[in-house]
Amino acid sequence: MADVTLEVENLVKVYSSRGKSPVRAVDGLSFSVPRGIIFGLLGPNGAGKSTLLRVLTTLTRPTEGTARILGIDVVKKPLEVRRRISSVIQETAAELLLSVHDNLLTYARFQNIPRAEAHSRAESLIDEFQLRAEVERKVQDLSGGFRRRVQVAKVFMVNTPVLFLDEFSTGMDPILKRQVMNRLRAETEKGRTIILTTQILSEAEELCDDILIINKGRQIARGDLSALKLLSQGVHDILLTFDRLPDSIAAEIAALQPIRQNVSGNSIELTLKAVEGRVMEIVTELTRNRRILHVEVHGASLEDIFVELTTHQKEPA
Amino acid sequence: MSALSAVVYREAKIRATNVTFIFWDLLFPLLYMLVFGVGVNAALGAPAGISGVNYNEFFLAGVLAMASFAIASNTSWSFFLDRDNGIFYEMLTYPMSRSEYLLGKVIFNVLIAVLQAALTLIVASFVLGVRIHWNAMPMLIVGMAIGTAGWFFFYAIFALSTRRNDVFNAVTSIFYFVFMFASSMFYPLGPLPRWFRITAYANPITWQIDWLRYSSIGLGNFRSVLLEGAVFLVFSIVCFAYAVRCLQQQE
Repeated sequence: MADVTLEVENLVKVYSSRGKSPVRAVDGLSFSVPRGIIFGLLGPNGAGKSTLLRVLTTLTRPTEGTARILGIDVVKKPLEVRRRISSVIQETAAELLLSVHDNLLTYARFQNIPRAEAHSRAESLIDEFQLRAEVERKVQDLSGGFRRRVQVAKVFMVNTPVLFLDEFSTGMDPILKRQVMNRLRAETEKGRTIILTTQILSEAEELCDDILIINKGRQIARGDLSALKLLSQGVHDILLTFDRLPDSIAAEIAALQPIRQNVSGNSIELTLKAVEGRVMEIVTELTRNRRILHVEVHGASLEDIFVELTTHQKEPA
Repeated sequence: MSALSAVVYREAKIRATNVTFIFWDLLFPLLYMLVFGVGVNAALGAPAGISGVNYNEFFLAGVLAMASFAIASNTSWSFFLDRDNGIFYEMLTYPMSRSEYLLGKVIFNVLIAVLQAALTLIVASFVLGVRIHWNAMPMLIVGMAIGTAGWFFFYAIFALSTRRNDVFNAVTSIFYFVFMFASSMFYPLGPLPRWFRITAYANPITWQIDWLRYSSIGLGNFRSVLLEGAVFLVFSIVCFAYAVRCLQQQE
């Protein structure tokens, strides 16, 4: 029990508004998350990820079911839950009228961090998030990217056992994003559990120890990356770069009925489901009598799995 | 307790870094007294039906209540600002209860209201020559504190119940007009038509003004002022409970 951070049982959240039919944003989800991992919550827009996070962070009460953080019920004891979590919500949330420095210190005050400790942590995070030059500027005068830095930096002011991140990397440059990802990994080594949502699947692929894919509020797939790849066995990515894009190539690709395709310049990227031998035959057919600059074939990425599972809406795996 | 002090700290930081807020919170009602009050006093002198009190003295309690009302209205508008900044929902995940969040905001605003009242009383006494009943100051502070809290909770209900700040602005404009003018803020109620008097006595700001008028210049009947104060306290408690409920329903 102590090693389980999050337990969700038959969770349902229905939004009702006058004159409209009710929307089941979360529809009977059940799962648990062990301590000290990065748990990814994936799904297309409107899948119910943010609603689920809002329930778990005590912002919204579920219509049915239960959710417990470290064994504490989010509905019955919301304050106890809040004492154990910190969160970065989807919108860029910062105190616009306060300086960067005051944003960090005010947050620390809410989290009951002693003043000297708060100052020392703030100083360290200001350097880590490259905010030194902006430290006395009001957040309303900063760009969206810098505001996001301030928002994400805040959650590292505290050592709550659970950290919720909703699309945390939005607006971050790649270098900072890499830095934050490393930091998140280090936090799990200290025993913190991180629950994140992201639309950037490569990010989830790299970061998450365990992934839950949801769509229309329901579970579509669950497991670590290798378990999810098993669900999509036979899905392959093919990348071909020609010296000149053949005229008939669009029709040839359409006939293969790929899961997805992308033509960019002289390159074609397609994802299709076929046994390995057949994939090689397809590559041979597409490249026959054509000048090829680059060929790449590999197994399914998380993005392929995601697209396949969410577009074909498989029922609980 | 730490959650309350954190909310007070946050409010103080935000207000202290913004000159506009300081102006509205501390100086606006004071200017009202100095410009409007002095003008009416010069033009009309004593208010009708009340002997031994000039208009500056009569209007002082109105200015104090106006400060309560304005501070409460401005603070409740900050819910929209926080919502637009996204920080509102993030704050609701901080380790504090919904009532601590509201009470923290109120504590800060009560401090501002009391400070504003002190400034107003000093100016009224030393610049306008108003005879202040300094020995009733504790009673006046209670009136400012409960008044500001009650109005803030009242406004918070509307600020938390609507997502559109244009709707909220329209509501507050109507409230300003109805509450302030249908009360004993600007004129004594005695000479007014019966329907107006009934409306004014049903208006919570009249209860607060009567309390403040009694405690600042000794005008009024202690028993009826006490009753009005008790009813205002009930009004504030009901508004607080409803505002907490509205905050709990934020999704």
